[in-house]
Amino acid sequence: MTKVKSESESRSDEAEGPDGGWGWVLLGALFISTSLVFGLMRSLGIFFVEFVQYFEESAQAVSWISSTGLAAQQFFSPLGAALCNAYNARLVVMAGGFLAGLGLILASQATCLAHLYLTMGVISGLGWGLVFTPMVATVMASFTRRRTLALGLAFSSIGLSSFAFNPLFQLLVEMYTWRGALLILGGLSLNIVACGALIRPKPRSEAPAKVDPESKSSCVAQLQRVSNYLELSLLFERPYVTYTLAISLLNVGYFVPYFHLVAHSRQAGFSEYQAAFVMSAAGATDILGRVVSGWFADLHHFRLIHLLSLWTALAGVFIMLLPVSSLSGSYIALVVIGLLYGFCSGALTSLAFAVVPMIVGVERMMGALGLLQLIESSAGLLGTPLSGLLKDITGNYMASFMVAGSFPILGTLTMATLPHYFSCTDPPPPQRRSLGDKDKGLNSELEQMNTLPSDISDKGGE
Amino acid sequence: MSASWKQLLSQVLLLLVSCRHVNTKTPSPTAPALAPLPTNVSSVVLKGKSHTENIQLLNPVNLTLVCIWTGHQNTAPNITGHWRKDGEEIQSSRRSVQVDSQQYNMTRVFSIDKEENLGNYSCVFGDEAKIDFILAAPQFDEDRDKPIISYVGDSVGLTCKMANPDPNTWTWYKENGTAKELISAEPQRYEIKNTNNHTKLLVHNLTEADSGVFFCGAVFAIHTTMRPVELKVITFMEPLKPFISILVEVVVLVAAILLFERCQSKKKVPAGDGTTADQKNMLPQGDDNASEGSSSMRQRKV
Repeated sequence: MTKVKSESESRSDEAEGPDGGWGWVLLGALFISTSLVFGLMRSLGIFFVEFVQYFEESAQAVSWISSTGLAAQQFFSPLGAALCNAYNARLVVMAGGFLAGLGLILASQATCLAHLYLTMGVISGLGWGLVFTPMVATVMASFTRRRTLALGLAFSSIGLSSFAFNPLFQLLVEMYTWRGALLILGGLSLNIVACGALIRPKPRSEAPAKVDPESKSSCVAQLQRVSNYLELSLLFERPYVTYTLAISLLNVGYFVPYFHLVAHSRQAGFSEYQAAFVMSAAGATDILGRVVSGWFADLHHFRLIHLLSLWTALAGVFIMLLPVSSLSGSYIALVVIGLLYGFCSGALTSLAFAVVPMIVGVERMMGALGLLQLIESSAGLLGTPLSGLLKDITGNYMASFMVAGSFPILGTLTMATLPHYFSCTDPPPPQRRSLGDKDKGLNSELEQMNTLPSDISDKGGE
Repeated sequence: MSASWKQLLSQVLLLLVSCRHVNTKTPSPTAPALAPLPTNVSSVVLKGKSHTENIQLLNPVNLTLVCIWTGHQNTAPNITGHWRKDGEEIQSSRRSVQVDSQQYNMTRVFSIDKEENLGNYSCVFGDEAKIDFILAAPQFDEDRDKPIISYVGDSVGLTCKMANPDPNTWTWYKENGTAKELISAEPQRYEIKNTNNHTKLLVHNLTEADSGVFFCGAVFAIHTTMRPVELKVITFMEPLKPFISILVEVVVLVAAILLFERCQSKKKVPAGDGTTADQKNMLPQGDDNASEGSSSMRQRKV
């Protein structure tokens, strides 16, 4: 009986909504908002030259601005997720877009570096944090069969927009200096509000259901509600913790080439332009990798988690090979490995988020993504200083890249400890106090055929 | 003084073009009866038709220019050569040059003690060969052709750098019509910060009248090399215009999206309720609380 019910549920769900129509509009909104968040963050380097000159501060002091912005974005991700759970994704994203724009507009009036930390760093970072996770979760919920492709397309915007923004920002700075340019950027960031308006508000009757009627004091009830919104209970579930750990390990090594590849290439004897070209080439294959891996994953020949493990392991291997390839002094080898590394690192980003609903279920995805972002980013902060330290100790980058490459491989091994890793089909995603499939797609149909009824009624997953 | 003379000497040595540089007779200073100027020699051997030599001078000097031309197949026994300055023939410099072991040799001493004496000196062998010597004070590297922009009421710093050699001092001028006005430090207005190889002019409390071309001058004993720096002062209205237009665009977009959704939902509302009800009916649940929540969750986007 349960089987019949599930089938009819799945049929009605597929007919109902996701994977088309408004989902593509939301994908466009995600494309634009991601480019205005991360594409913008990556192109802020142009302003830093101006800041160093105007405020007469060191480059290191100025670079704290972007570090603060990025840290704020990641730190406030769970907050954004919780607010979406509590209220309305549309309101949260619109508020986030407004804050991001406001931060940049206020920054245009800055008279000292501290003002920039506060405005461009904290306020805009808070805005970005309120935008990114909710929009990603919204789009992920709108797609099931083509989820990874959608994510791949959306994240390719980061690379593409940093191509476009660099000359644009340069032009704005030349015409209006940094004050005017920041003002205009603030205006551009306000477009995120329009992107947020595209999210159709959903009635969340889940909210009252989550809160058990408490006879205890309202303080405890409040705390419980907050922890529900933040999905803190996920931190006690083994699959989620395992996955988060794996992604964090990946993050430790992931950014090292971006920071150190140019320096390493110079040390290996290549010219400035050759080194910069390797980075640009890696960036181009990164964009390609995101889209291709998204498309390929949605062909559903393999489980997402297996593909993710493959790309992660390959990325780790190629990071390790980077210094080895330049040992022989061959520029071609370095470029080839760089291209391959770029492709793999782009490929895995499309999948990293798409796996989350498989582990925690679609309705907890919002909070799960927020927490994941927070935890993985703090791990990412370790990677670059560690590799810098290794370089200082050993004198060249061989050790740093080797160690950095080993972290994604460790991440892959950690992923292998996920429950049901070695089965050929996806396990049913965990249900929270309900029966029926949450995660749609070809996998669910395979489940109908392969799994026993008892699995479906098994609450809480593994 | 001796340091810069040594510097000049080493520069001249570097200027020698051919391996077979030929040093002619050591000239005696032919300066008039003022303080004796240091002497220097620049010698060029030409094998082709023409050549240009750049000579950088910091201080007044008696410069001997030596031109040696190896001629071509039909070397006539003598040829008429003359000297030119900036394209115009120098009076009574025309003389007959004899062949000397397959070479023509022209030598002349020039007293370079004033700015006017800098320029383009050429030795011309008949109509056939020419060597140019361009005598100049040290020049700046490429000009920055883009103007520096700043806002009314803000402060701006205009910089000039000269890597080598270091000028004796720096001066700043503002272009006023065709004349250049010297800028001196004024409190709350102009501030000049100099180091050996670069200078910075800070202008405070900018007004639109401050727009224009400024010149930084690198002062050498022989000449002051100038470089233009353009300053443009704009009001905050300038970037405000594109900003307002973007703001308007965002407001229009948001309004349009919300209106569109309102229109659409008005059509959809009756159908929507029906499907929701169907979903709920299909799920008999063990846990009552979760059922309705989860079913509506499932069909909705988060």
